[in-house]
Amino acid sequence: MRATDLFDNYLNNSLNSEEKADFEQRLANDKSFEHAFNQHRVLLDTLNLSAKRANFKNKLKAIHENEYGKSSRIIPLSENFARSFGKTAAVAATTALIAVLSTIAILSAGGYLLKQQNTQLSELNRKVLQLEASSDAIVSGITKPKIVYAPANLEGSAFALNNKGYIITSYHMVSGADSIFIRNTSTERTLAHIILGDPTLDLAILKINDSSLVKNWQVPFVLKEKTTDVGEKVFTLGYPRKDMVYGEGSLSSLSGYFNDTAMYQISIPVNPGNSGGPLLDDNGNVIGVIRGKLTSSEATGFAVKANEIIRSINAMANDSSKKDLLAQGKKSSLKNMKRSEQIKKINPYVFNVLVYKKE
Amino acid sequence: MSKTRVQFTDDDFIAGLRTGNNEILNVLYKKYYNIVLKFIVNNSGTEEAARDIYQETVIVLYENAQKPGFELNCQLQTYIYSVAKRLWLKQLKKNGKTFLFKDDAENEVVDVSSDMNEYLDKETEIEKMNQSLAELGEPCATLINDFYVHRLSMDDIADKFGYTNADNAKNQKYKCLQRLKKYFFENHNRTLETEKEKNESDRFI
Repeated sequence: MRATDLFDNYLNNSLNSEEKADFEQRLANDKSFEHAFNQHRVLLDTLNLSAKRANFKNKLKAIHENEYGKSSRIIPLSENFARSFGKTAAVAATTALIAVLSTIAILSAGGYLLKQQNTQLSELNRKVLQLEASSDAIVSGITKPKIVYAPANLEGSAFALNNKGYIITSYHMVSGADSIFIRNTSTERTLAHIILGDPTLDLAILKINDSSLVKNWQVPFVLKEKTTDVGEKVFTLGYPRKDMVYGEGSLSSLSGYFNDTAMYQISIPVNPGNSGGPLLDDNGNVIGVIRGKLTSSEATGFAVKANEIIRSINAMANDSSKKDLLAQGKKSSLKNMKRSEQIKKINPYVFNVLVYKKE
Repeated sequence: MSKTRVQFTDDDFIAGLRTGNNEILNVLYKKYYNIVLKFIVNNSGTEEAARDIYQETVIVLYENAQKPGFELNCQLQTYIYSVAKRLWLKQLKKNGKTFLFKDDAENEVVDVSSDMNEYLDKETEIEKMNQSLAELGEPCATLINDFYVHRLSMDDIADKFGYTNADNAKNQKYKCLQRLKKYFFENHNRTLETEKEKNESDRFI
């Protein structure tokens, strides 16, 4: 048994009296054991106190907002969201909104403590934005559009890995999902399922359920294994809104958040919903997947490097699926094309991901 | 607004805080906010600063009230005012703006140093913890919290994070915890080695 398990069992009172006596004996005789145990206890106490304070502060915030109003909105609302949701869905969403806001309050309570010297990586899904939008839909009393889908719990971006119907997106979005849909201008809302997930790199590989939809796929870009240089121009396509949005900038660093060498830092202002979108270089090679941004800075984004994606797929997949997963075209067919032409070609292979999960 | 106001004594408030009575907390919060608001705004603070300082003040009171031997040696209002004042002075000091501090003789002040210092020490630890958790990243941070704070079982965690079984989840929790300890106790002196180790050790599925 690992020492930490022993510590946990002791603290939970789940040792029998003999084990407990042994444990205490060891504490008394073994200085380094005692030291390790004390550290363990301090760590857990701090964790729990932190949660407790955040919880209590959350309560106070609720009281305050209730009595004196909110001083500022968390995230501005973009209008076009409101239009796509029906009234019924909006009512359901409001309940969810309350839940989400209270989570945010907890998070921001933590954030308040940190804000002096620390910044956090924020994951760019569109949860709040969307829920706020749908609750605003109630206020403005919007009528039902023809087909009403319940609003997804999370939305983000994704892109095709190859012609076989595999799609890359962010793990944090799709993990624990009840159902995952993808859509874009050329593909109607369709189901996909998770094939592989790598929480460490925040990567997930999905596959479109209906294989007939991908028969004619000709993915124009390939994953570029070679590291791209700092200063290279890069761009991304994603779904921070219902429509695809283009963003460009340059590669600012070969390492990401906290010097994470698995990530690039980029100077593209990425927004909620960009998570899971492709990062491409001038020639239309995929050099990474958008992962998040610094909460403290609008124009600092992070992307997981393409070679890490390949490495991760290699590590995760079994031999038979590996071949399918890593089947790539020879090279990007987008070289020497005008950017707008490139985007036209890429467009069908970048998706809006809609995730439904039980909270 | 037409609700009849229940009058609570200081002892009622303390007892309410102890038992986690939300209604009493609600009344307490509103009762003393204006005193702190007035003080902070008069001392070059904004309304938002007043809110933050006041909330911290209530936390100090709340946490101390939980202690078995806690006894209020003055009026609750004096206690709250004293803590808020100290917290605000500390903030001004931190920003090098002590000269903006006007000491008003209007309100009585009591010594709340020990209550406050304990809160502040813990706050430093919590900041360090939050930093370490941010450094730890996902899914580790959530996993650790799920296990140690929310007390989820390994089976539930395996389910939630998509590990094949509880043993697998347990292994993962172990690795995450070791890393968290490293960050927390080594004061974020990360070397390239730990970076490498992180990338190696967390690859799974």
